[in-house]
Amino acid sequence: MSSRILPEFDLLVPQSIPEAVEMLTKYQDKAAVMAGGTDLLVLMKSGLKVPYIVSLSEVPGLDYVIYDPNDGLRIGAMATLAQVADNADIKKNYAALWESAAVNGTPQTRNRATVVGNILRASPAGDCCAAALALGGKVVLQGAAGKREVDIDHFWVAYRTTARQAFEFAVEYRIPANVGKSAFKRMTRADQDLSKLNAAVCLNMSGNVCQGARLAIGCVAPTTVRMKKAEEILKGKEITDSVLKEVEEAVKGEVTPIDDVRSSAWYRKEVSGILMKRTIQKACA
Amino acid sequence: MKTRSITIYVNGEAYSLNVAVNRTLLQVLREDLGMPDTKYGCGTGECGACTVLIDGKKSILACLSLAATMDGAKITTVAGLEQEGKLHPVQEAFVNEGAIQCGYCTPGMVMKSVSILAKNPHPTEEEIRRELEGNICRCTGYVKIVQAIQKAGDAMASTC
Amino acid sequence: MSEFSIVGQRIPKIDAKEKVLGQTMYAADLNFPGMYYGKIVRCLKYAHAKVTKLDLSEAAKVPGVVKVFGPKDVTQKTYNAGVMDLMVSEPAGQMAGDIEDQTIFTDHVKHQGDAICGILAKTEEAAERGAEKVIVEYEPLPVYLTAKESMKSDAVQFTPLKPGNKAFELPAEMFPNNIYGWGDAEAEMKNADLVVEDTFYVPKQKQCQMEPHAYVALYDRQGRLNCWTSTQMPKCVHPKLAKLFDLPMSRVKINQSPVGGGFGCKLGMINEPQACAMAMAVPGHHVKTQQLREEDWIASESRHPGLYWMKIGLKKDGTPVAIQARFEAYTGGYYTQASGVPFTTGAWLSGMYKFGACNYKGEAYFTNQVPCGAYRGYGNPQTNFPLEQLIDRACNQLSIDPVEWRMKWHKNVGDDGWCIGFKYPSCALDECLTRGAEAIGWKEKRAKYAGQKGKKRRGVGVSLMNHCSGAMPMLLEHTTVTVKVNEDATAEVICNCSDLGTGAHTALKQIAAETLGFPMDDVHMLVGNSDAAGFDIGAHASRTLYVGGLAVKAACEKVTKQFFERAATALESNVEDLEMKDKKIFVKGSPAKAIDVKTITSLGVYNFVNPATGKTVGTPGQIQGYESFFPPHNSPPFSAVFVEVEVDTETGEVKILEFVNAYDIGRAINPSNVEGQLEGGAQHGLGNVLTEETYYDKNGLCLNSSFTDYKMLGPSDLPPMKIILVEQPDPIGPYGAKSCGEEGIINPIGATANAIYNALGIQFLEAPITPEKILKALKEKGLSY
Repeated sequence: MSSRILPEFDLLVPQSIPEAVEMLTKYQDKAAVMAGGTDLLVLMKSGLKVPYIVSLSEVPGLDYVIYDPNDGLRIGAMATLAQVADNADIKKNYAALWESAAVNGTPQTRNRATVVGNILRASPAGDCCAAALALGGKVVLQGAAGKREVDIDHFWVAYRTTARQAFEFAVEYRIPANVGKSAFKRMTRADQDLSKLNAAVCLNMSGNVCQGARLAIGCVAPTTVRMKKAEEILKGKEITDSVLKEVEEAVKGEVTPIDDVRSSAWYRKEVSGILMKRTIQKACA
Repeated sequence: MKTRSITIYVNGEAYSLNVAVNRTLLQVLREDLGMPDTKYGCGTGECGACTVLIDGKKSILACLSLAATMDGAKITTVAGLEQEGKLHPVQEAFVNEGAIQCGYCTPGMVMKSVSILAKNPHPTEEEIRRELEGNICRCTGYVKIVQAIQKAGDAMASTC
Repeated sequence: MSEFSIVGQRIPKIDAKEKVLGQTMYAADLNFPGMYYGKIVRCLKYAHAKVTKLDLSEAAKVPGVVKVFGPKDVTQKTYNAGVMDLMVSEPAGQMAGDIEDQTIFTDHVKHQGDAICGILAKTEEAAERGAEKVIVEYEPLPVYLTAKESMKSDAVQFTPLKPGNKAFELPAEMFPNNIYGWGDAEAEMKNADLVVEDTFYVPKQKQCQMEPHAYVALYDRQGRLNCWTSTQMPKCVHPKLAKLFDLPMSRVKINQSPVGGGFGCKLGMINEPQACAMAMAVPGHHVKTQQLREEDWIASESRHPGLYWMKIGLKKDGTPVAIQARFEAYTGGYYTQASGVPFTTGAWLSGMYKFGACNYKGEAYFTNQVPCGAYRGYGNPQTNFPLEQLIDRACNQLSIDPVEWRMKWHKNVGDDGWCIGFKYPSCALDECLTRGAEAIGWKEKRAKYAGQKGKKRRGVGVSLMNHCSGAMPMLLEHTTVTVKVNEDATAEVICNCSDLGTGAHTALKQIAAETLGFPMDDVHMLVGNSDAAGFDIGAHASRTLYVGGLAVKAACEKVTKQFFERAATALESNVEDLEMKDKKIFVKGSPAKAIDVKTITSLGVYNFVNPATGKTVGTPGQIQGYESFFPPHNSPPFSAVFVEVEVDTETGEVKILEFVNAYDIGRAINPSNVEGQLEGGAQHGLGNVLTEETYYDKNGLCLNSSFTDYKMLGPSDLPPMKIILVEQPDPIGPYGAKSCGEEGIINPIGATANAIYNALGIQFLEAPITPEKILKALKEKGLSY
């Protein structure tokens, strides 16, 4: 394994979605799908051996970011984090996703890395994963049998494992319109970093009262997870300091983080509630 | 496929190559095209030493780009900034402001700086510092790099 | 300073244009016809193991592989990658116990990353494929990650030369009772009204220069071994490689390739031995080898980590009575610089404050990690962390302002420096403290923060440092310079001084131009060529500007002396009646009575007989100035650094708000370069104290050998930096200059720790001071805000 020399593999460059589907149907789990490549190539330089790479680089019509005030947001598989970070509609209506895309990685990786790719990578530290889980929505998968949609709540099934089957690939991530007020925050060792803790919230507010909340937190479990107990606490309440304190304690009690090179289980647990509280406050601001 | 025929445009010139599919753009530039101005610093997307521009403005990492997927790409490296013996304003500012010490990060840093100003001709210091992330310098502490970008921005604004 | 025309100017670096055009050819950029690639195969699985089987036969069959090398296929001679053996006399080295315990390839792996064999191939990819086919089996050995573990009586011995795995201790023959310092600190401590002590841990940290280590070696058909390397010490690598390969120095050529950052990492050799060994086997073929970034943390030297116990005693009024300290360094798998840092750590300690008695002990023990060497500051960062914190702790308990205490008790002109017996010739610390304190708003902020409330807490801290400009008399400080004057009165300054990006070559050229009275364009620096120039001990101990500058100045003065002597002859005058301006020498007060320097130099080379007169015109001889220079001192620079932080007490996160370094530079030959050194050093120092550490698992395997997880501060983490250059010219340094190469890293460390102390009232004994450690301390002490 070498950061200069990639292992050998066979490259497939489909020119259309059906062609890509055909290749995946043929090679299945011998093939890795490459969008931006910023994750996959790093993994391969660290030793991951993949017999086939199916690159989406020449499949037209996958790099769309389409917002409609009624239909919501649709992000194509090749739409980059930079496209999302440059989009004023997303900043306004899906602030959590906007922020997660704007801070993830570096300007160079943001010009290649994709939102869908971040979701497919299924890292519990994924910044766009936290935002997606808070905002809700669906991942659209395409296989030989056609398209199917999987709710984001059911998309990550285990550590770095998704509901995608080997013969299909993700073509889109879509979020409904009017999801509510959202925000994303994260904690890192230095400004440019993988998250040691991240959180995203989406609040359905009716005046001062929170009708419902989706609270997502990463880096504390094998996948990004929702803090359901804390969500219940917010339901039907005004977001006061004391309510936030309850949320803080609930989150702290609910998370099960581990030690790793970035931080410790103790620390993550200790500050998880604080981060969630601050993310809620940011959404309300 | 194990190899692919591509045509890439580097600093305005077309190059038609048959590349092994597992070769990165960085390897192709440095080895196949004999252009060592783009550097290897980490190979895994952290340091930015291999930063080049697409379409004269979008910064990407050559170490994490498969050359075989870059057919038709218009790439600028630091060697392509000079115009008829005249330094690009960013290059001029880097020299004059003392923004270069060991110089190893300089090619990538200059390309990042050009892309910053291409997107926003009048960035604030905070914006500059945020956009510089992804380019590591271990010599300068970034102070004079930021100053150079500000000076270059002023210079470029006053000439258009 | 306007008294000089070139010295003191912010002249752009002489190599800046080439670098900004991407035309600088670092070693990895070099390509030669028929060049091979040499892959150094390293043990990645174990931190301590015996190689029980090494089978390279499959590797040799891989298409493109040219040759394979096991440990026995290359010279068995041992060496020390560091250059201490060249820097100290043989008796001193023997007293220190310096050894040569490294081999090119090993069958006793002493750290993860140790080199076990080499694969030479036509391309790097073929070499990688070959390396994948190496068959190796190991017998794992117990792993020792601390001195406590490796000094145990039943521990596996790293080398029979060092029983108990104690690599080094201050030798009693040089330092009675193995103590550096003065007085009997233990006895004196009893006279203190207040004693504070603690044991600190200073971590393993890495230089992280941007250029991964690369070399090209060629054993040419004239029987010469050529090596292109970005070592900081080309003229030390020269004799070391000659000795290693049993060649006379005249058959070894070192081409110093542009150095893409050093910070001490390249103080000596890294993989020149492996590159050269492979090249020797294929005469006529260049061999390139370049480390992968992920190898840097496990295959090149780091800072010395370890436990640092310190105890200081003060009187009620703050008078420093006594200081005792002991640094127990974990020196890694090989000896390298085990005798260097454990000594200098104590030297810097002794040089700072006027303690009545100072006793320091330094020891180094082998551990199964990459060996330690030089990282900017060389023991001074380690000392700054505990010393400055204990002083603030004492000041706090005695209700003395930390700036006032330092103002009163820092060592000064005439006091013993870090090298006892060598008195400080200059010290501008009073001005540094005054101007620095004003710049950060010390008084106002300390008063304001004393009564602060809320969950975000701010603090300001101060720290001083002393360092050196070259390390004589402890180390050999020797630089030779030849100034060769061309017939058109332009000059070549030929030397082997190194520029690691510091701007040293630019500053040396400024010194040369100023001394010669030439414009910058009329001077050319010929550097990095071991055939052309004589000895230089290398870029270390912040010596190049000071020692190199004095040497350049002296050589140039030898040249100008010859100008004046020949002019005196030509003008029928006396040397003392002449002056030089704009390359013309004329009689003072009679500008018409003049001769161009160009005429002098031309006639020196083209000394024809005038056919009309039968006589030659002008003094014959091409002018040259040669200086083999040993400096008379090490003029230590000083500085005061101030840092302001804000701590989020709910998360332990630290934000650095402001940074000031008031620096005693003597004279800034090139103020822009000096600022660059201090700003760059601050990025290291602030990272060293807040985020940087190389981590290992319990098997000694590195957990963060990447930029992803060895976290340095980036452009949006760093505060605005104010650099104040205090210029009180040193009586010895060139044009009054002192050094600034290393120093920027040192006191940001203590100042930040002290700022956090001011903010929270808590001190941290382990660097880096991470949010995890801060929050834990806050919770354990039951503090809430």
